[in-house]
Amino acid sequence: MPDGELLTEGIHMTVSRFQYHAPETLEEAVKLLADKGEGAHLLAGGTDLLMKIRHGLLKPKTVIGLKRIKGLDTITFGPKTGLTIGATALLGQVAAHRDIQRRYPAIAHAARETANIQIRNMGTVVGNLCNAAPSADNAPVLMAMGAEAVLLSVGGERRLPLTEFFKGPGLTAMLPSEILIRINVPPPPPRSGASYQHISARGKVDISAVGVGVFILLKGGQCQDIRIVMGAVAPIPMRALKAERMIRGKTLNRALLKEVGLHASKEAKPISDMRATADYRRKMVAVLTRRAVREAAERAHKQ
Amino acid sequence: MEQFRIVGTDVPRTHARAKATGSALYTDDIKLPGMLHGSLLRSPLPHARIANIDVRRAAALPGVKCVITGADIPKIKYGNWRLFPGTQDEYALAVDKVRFIGEEVAAVAAVDRDTAKEALELIRVAYEELPAVFDIRHAIRKDAPVIHESSPGNISIDRKIQYGDIRRGFAESDYIRKDTFTVHAVSHAYLEPCATLAHCDSDGRITLWTSTQTPYIVQCLLASTLGMRENDIRVVKPHVGGGFGGKMEMRPWEFCAAFMAKKTGRPVKFTLTREEELATGRRRHPMKITSRIGFKKDGTLMAKDLRIHLDGGAYNAMGPTATFLCGNFGAMLYRYPNYRFLGEHVYTNKPPASAMRGFGAPQSLFAAESQMNLAAEDLGMDPIELRIKNAQVTGDEIPDVATISSCGFIESLKEVARISNWKRKRKALGPGRGIGIGCYSFISGGVFNWFNTQYPFSAAEIRAFSDGTVHLLTMASDIGQGSDTVLKQILAEELGLRMEDIRITSADTAMTPQADLGSWGSRVTLMAGNAVINAAKQIKEQLFGAVSARYNLNVIYDLECRDGRVHPKGRPDRGMSFGEAVAMVQRANRGDPLVARGSYTPRGKGLVTPAFSFGAQVAEVAVDRETGQVQVQKMWTAHDCGTVINPQSVEGQLEGSIHMGLGYALSEQFVMEKGRTLNTTFLDYKIPNALDMPPGESVCIETYEVEGPMGAKEAGEGLVSPTAPAIAEAVYHATGFRCRDLPITPEKVLKGIEKRARS
Repeated sequence: MPDGELLTEGIHMTVSRFQYHAPETLEEAVKLLADKGEGAHLLAGGTDLLMKIRHGLLKPKTVIGLKRIKGLDTITFGPKTGLTIGATALLGQVAAHRDIQRRYPAIAHAARETANIQIRNMGTVVGNLCNAAPSADNAPVLMAMGAEAVLLSVGGERRLPLTEFFKGPGLTAMLPSEILIRINVPPPPPRSGASYQHISARGKVDISAVGVGVFILLKGGQCQDIRIVMGAVAPIPMRALKAERMIRGKTLNRALLKEVGLHASKEAKPISDMRATADYRRKMVAVLTRRAVREAAERAHKQ
Repeated sequence: MEQFRIVGTDVPRTHARAKATGSALYTDDIKLPGMLHGSLLRSPLPHARIANIDVRRAAALPGVKCVITGADIPKIKYGNWRLFPGTQDEYALAVDKVRFIGEEVAAVAAVDRDTAKEALELIRVAYEELPAVFDIRHAIRKDAPVIHESSPGNISIDRKIQYGDIRRGFAESDYIRKDTFTVHAVSHAYLEPCATLAHCDSDGRITLWTSTQTPYIVQCLLASTLGMRENDIRVVKPHVGGGFGGKMEMRPWEFCAAFMAKKTGRPVKFTLTREEELATGRRRHPMKITSRIGFKKDGTLMAKDLRIHLDGGAYNAMGPTATFLCGNFGAMLYRYPNYRFLGEHVYTNKPPASAMRGFGAPQSLFAAESQMNLAAEDLGMDPIELRIKNAQVTGDEIPDVATISSCGFIESLKEVARISNWKRKRKALGPGRGIGIGCYSFISGGVFNWFNTQYPFSAAEIRAFSDGTVHLLTMASDIGQGSDTVLKQILAEELGLRMEDIRITSADTAMTPQADLGSWGSRVTLMAGNAVINAAKQIKEQLFGAVSARYNLNVIYDLECRDGRVHPKGRPDRGMSFGEAVAMVQRANRGDPLVARGSYTPRGKGLVTPAFSFGAQVAEVAVDRETGQVQVQKMWTAHDCGTVINPQSVEGQLEGSIHMGLGYALSEQFVMEKGRTLNTTFLDYKIPNALDMPPGESVCIETYEVEGPMGAKEAGEGLVSPTAPAIAEAVYHATGFRCRDLPITPEKVLKGIEKRARS
């Protein structure tokens, strides 16, 4: 196991000195994590972690790299078992995966819209979730599609619906001893569809000011079930439960789409920051929810 | 028109390979034995009196070699306007008072960066906070806190321009309108953050390698602030990763590096972080611009009354020049028979604004061009027709300023209308789609001598060798714009040599001839280019003399240097190779090498510039009416930069300008709260990315500028101005919302659309 002290001069930033471990099995990894305690941090792509270290926001004692663990980047799909995304599967791999593009186009889209090419070739979908930014592009649609996180510790595995995963900006329900090893997404039922819509201040490559993920299940022209998840408008990606209730069981039409958007907009709890004002975010929730429900429904019709 | 062989061709950039492969040395790449690393302590308050600074703990930290504050340095103020010492308002480190968040208060030199940073945290500064002002409106109120004792009303500079009879001009107008526009600060965002490395030799002489646009200015101001002689300081410019106006002054780290190198006897390096650059760096002036213009019914311009307040931040920096220039640019493009301008430069407790690509033009022309578009609509005229009706032409005189010796403006307007299919698109674009126009004129270097140099504005030395090579030495600074390449091209053309026959040494104040005012105001091609030609002509005279003697030529013969040979025109057989000719001259002078010095200082060219460039740009946009997002679909440009010396370079300048103009128009801004900059990384300071760049089409209008080298004039700076007004007009065309307050954010567009829907 190639241990060693990583001395980084940093790009003019004070970088703390930390122990770096690169275990080759999950067993080793969870054991290390248990041994090292709370000062230990996990590194998958490093695109968030290293920035935090460089900016002095995080001073880890130990960093455990996960990239050497074989099979942890696996993406699998089965019509019955659904989709699994391993902890070190890159954003770029998820965006380009043929099964995901075909069966989960909204998940592929969210991964493709995250950051830029360089970051997508380094960063991971799971890392994007664990970083727990309210604006995380991959959270809303995965939550809407009923994904669950598989958490591993020395004590064994537990499964947690993603809707219960986020606890606050940068905070998750993971214990310090746990590694999120995999995301499971159920197989999309017939006549269902999903969509992810987002907006930011710059054109094509940017952090999202608002994002909305929608999963819908149709019965005839009616909405049988729906989940709407809004990103960057609350401390965590949040469900628009009232909007969901309002639309369930109803026949989709233009007026209803408009109304569902307005409902979601009322539920959002945005703040004003340098990326957008609360007022603008609220308006965009209405627009993006409408667009996401429409696209999800169109996809459901085609199935 | 002259026929050229190398000028006008896509000669590859001299440094392209070194930069592309990473072997080019920038200041931060240079490492010297025993080198210390410097770091700056910056003010956390926007306005405060410094009661006490205690550096004892920092100085005692192992690895720290030097700590200095304002108390340790000579109390000599500096600033680029040396001709007017009253405008020089900065100390390298704050003395008594801080005036913006980020102002340099103390400096540390230590064995490594981490130690230097750690030492900063150990310095205790006791501040007494003072009330602060953050915008023009509050700064000029009678009861506003005073930022500099020398400017009790917080107005540090005013500039006036007036000609004609403004009152009569308006009295004779049929249509008058008055508009107010505001524009914001943006960052130069050069890719290379500022860096500097100072070395002091055993005789006490300083060598400073630094990322600068103006080695000569840094040399002189370093000398005056250190109390040294100019010639005891050598400033060398390594490769520079962009400047855009942000690196044309002496800066605190340059002073501190030199001062601490002298004090410690060890080399000292400073390299700023991106966060420091964005939080505290120079920026483009925000302005409040009120303009009143009068027309005849038929669209003839009668008068313009322009009033501009510049938000200068805490110090003058290049603000005085910007104050004059925004008034100068307000009088360009069109014939204003009666014109009045008053500009006032206002101090506020923010990081100082300074020169930035366009130097007053992007702000002033956003207002002027938006107002032309507004007037065209009211007058029921097409915006391009209204412009053509009033456009400046070759030979036009701007009273007290200059005579325009070449002008391709009308041709630019007609050409951009043609390539953009203006008439059709203006009538029939789909919903949410729009097209708009903006124009520019710019200077090719300044005539003004606020730096009070006693040397020529540009100079060149050429050393010719018998092996057929020449060495060009010039203080002109290539900061990425390509001047080394362009100057070599001009010299190769003049001496009939190839690019590979020319070695260039540039921007080293101890090695290259005095002087060059630096790379700003689009002055280098014209001024340094003329200096090169001037020196080359002297070399040629010597060579022609040798060839004439050798072949016993009639004195009336014309000779030329061409294809590596020197011979009578049209008679290559009666001549010799360039190297043989050099050898003959050298023998005739009993071994003295063949060397010539040339220079250029603009004379008899008025008060502003030797030559003006012109151009017109059309933008097409698509606006999402639900989100307010603006997508620029395409840009068309037609411009007149005189003779094009390097087409690829001009194209690069055009693309870079559009990119910068796009950010200025749509997405770039400093988000500030009580003098603190919140967006200090490129994640939240939103420069457009490659994917945001629209496709473009461009045409160079051919003119020949008699004052320019081989007919050339400015191409790098003016083009940044038309983009924002063109996009603003296109957004108006698409939505009915007119933005008078840059940037055009989605939120503003959406509010504008909603307001229009309600009314």
